[in-house]
Amino acid sequence: MKLELRDAVKRFRTATALDGLTLEVQDDVDMVAIVAPTGSGKTTLLRVLAGLDGLDSGSLKVRGEDVTGVHVQKRNVSMVYQKFVNYPSLRVFDNIASPLQVARPRIAKAEIERRVHAIAEKLGIDMYLRRYPQELSGGQRQRVALARALVKEVDLVLLDEPLGNLDYKLREALRSDLKELSRERDALFVYATPEPIDALMMASHVAVLSEGRVVQYGRTREVHAVPQHAEVGRRFSEPPMNLLACRVEDGHVSAGDAFRFRLADAPSDGAFLLGIYPHHLRILEDGPPKPGSVRIEARLEFAEVVGSDVTLRLAYEEHTVLALSDKIRSYHLDETVKVDVDPNDVYLFDARSGDLVRASVRGRDARG
Amino acid sequence: MARIELSGVSHRYGNDEWAIRDVNVVWEDGVASALLGPSGSGKTTVLDIISGLLRPTEGRVLVDGRDVTGLNARERNVAQVFQFPVMYETLNVFDNLAFPLRNQRMPEAEVRQRVEATAELMGLTDLLRRNAHRLGAAEQQRVSLARGIVRKDISAVLLDEPLTVIDPQAKWHLRRQLKALHERTGITMIYVTHDQHEALTFADQVTVMNLGAVVQTGTPTELHERPRRPFIGYFIGSPGMNLLEAEVGEDGVRVGPLTVAYEPGVAKRLAGEEALQLGIRPEYVEASSRPLEGGTEAMVEDVDTTGHSLIVHARMGEAPLKVTMDEAATVASGDSLWIRFPAEHVNLYAAGERIEVNA
Repeated sequence: MKLELRDAVKRFRTATALDGLTLEVQDDVDMVAIVAPTGSGKTTLLRVLAGLDGLDSGSLKVRGEDVTGVHVQKRNVSMVYQKFVNYPSLRVFDNIASPLQVARPRIAKAEIERRVHAIAEKLGIDMYLRRYPQELSGGQRQRVALARALVKEVDLVLLDEPLGNLDYKLREALRSDLKELSRERDALFVYATPEPIDALMMASHVAVLSEGRVVQYGRTREVHAVPQHAEVGRRFSEPPMNLLACRVEDGHVSAGDAFRFRLADAPSDGAFLLGIYPHHLRILEDGPPKPGSVRIEARLEFAEVVGSDVTLRLAYEEHTVLALSDKIRSYHLDETVKVDVDPNDVYLFDARSGDLVRASVRGRDARG
Repeated sequence: MARIELSGVSHRYGNDEWAIRDVNVVWEDGVASALLGPSGSGKTTVLDIISGLLRPTEGRVLVDGRDVTGLNARERNVAQVFQFPVMYETLNVFDNLAFPLRNQRMPEAEVRQRVEATAELMGLTDLLRRNAHRLGAAEQQRVSLARGIVRKDISAVLLDEPLTVIDPQAKWHLRRQLKALHERTGITMIYVTHDQHEALTFADQVTVMNLGAVVQTGTPTELHERPRRPFIGYFIGSPGMNLLEAEVGEDGVRVGPLTVAYEPGVAKRLAGEEALQLGIRPEYVEASSRPLEGGTEAMVEDVDTTGHSLIVHARMGEAPLKVTMDEAATVASGDSLWIRFPAEHVNLYAAGERIEVNA
């Protein structure tokens, strides 16, 4: 389902939500993730795509057809929100069936039954069809909302942080369901979220938004491997990419007195932001540094278990950095942690503009 | 400060079914511990029994070996911090902290000294003259906690989902403060939460509850490496543990085409067990595009990325298997992948209970 949004501008009384946003998604994409912090225009973008909000200027084409001024009821879209929106007085069956029951031309009852059962089974809620939404858990209710959005064939399925209220085990399960559904359907799934992990795990393509514009759009893994702007590194990684003020002098990068290393392909002298993904700050419990790596000794400010990893917040000199370890153990506040960095893994961004100057070696390989 | 013990504790509300059943747990003096379980698992009932808000239907509560089952909450000197900050909104922070001390008729000079020392410990010194209602949620929760520990005779601090109302950005800071408080005071702390990450982040000892029973008590490492039930292997860690149907062979445990070698004695010991399952975490599965000795081939069906590693969805014979691989690995759908299970990272379960074979 090809989608073209050009120079979209949407202003509210006090703020500009979309500020000349352009996004073109090709026909063969199953799911595009819109990654943006709360309040940076992603909900407005979804409402524009749905036809709930008009544009002040710019144009929107779906499947090559201009739908800029077309009202929501004439568009073929469905939307799922973070809050579990269900009709409390209707049984689960009728909640899911409602978009079909109001469809014109009418759909035969037997056909409605068939479609509701099919999608309910797909989402693992077919045993709850006779119940009321409030008798279900949060995860089940969100599945009902998803089933309602997917029971009808639509052009666009718009998802506004639908997993935001769910605990991480439910998120895991729903992510893989959504990924599978997006592949089976003809519709384009547009998934807006502040969480990079949702986008990384589900979507083949991603648009990173900042201040009402797309900062970078592309294949998910390429955007992660080669963030074109420091902002993308920060937004599109969990934990966020470390960005340290640094200087390049005579082929050497320095970010503090103790953190200094030679870079084979360093840019000419000046001020930069040194970008390092947390998992590239390698924690070595013992042993000497890997050849070619540079070591810093840092003080542990905090260690937080996330999934099967531990995020370490480390301080050295006046800097704070985040590192990722796969070692689940008890950590003590203020213990000394040894961190190795391979210069091949680092990124450099222009200190003033934030634009990418040098990508990591693997990033460049990934781009091909 | 105190050692707390629940001995054979069961409870039911009225004539309902048992809310908790035969709970036996020891919290050693000075432990940082968590009580972890999904909602409805009975963890709040356990907390209320420790604090004295609830008298158990059966069993005993011991503090330093002394039976306190019959004592009420006020007689137990246990501080409790709830999901929502509890304080007098019209009073300033100093008077909020002083309140429980003045209630005990402590001399004012001593009150001042204790309040100031506690404020220092909780980073509240600059806020002492501030009115409580003017504080943010994280600050209010710190005041609640400080109120709990300001008394001299506190034997333990119980925290019931204390970060619920704290916004995500401020969370790590409060978590660090809790941990620092524990390291500095050595007070026994029991932290109740449904959130795996919070439990493993805070505690040195985690007690997992499910359906009214204690399923396992251990360090974060033990829960991760040697979960006693498949449920814990799934509930802790992301992705959860792979769980595969297994059977006993002559030279080890077989999972479809794959054999995990064990000493002959182990096979003999497992021979009678029914419903044998093998559990292995995705990050411990050895995987290679080249043949692995003692391994087997699996088909790659899908590859997800987390940004720092790849999660490979493979199929080994009939069984689905998740494998975590380095971000640099070159693997794609349709590839075949050699798989091996290192015995030291394998857990075996018979009828849903872990059996120790490596010891």
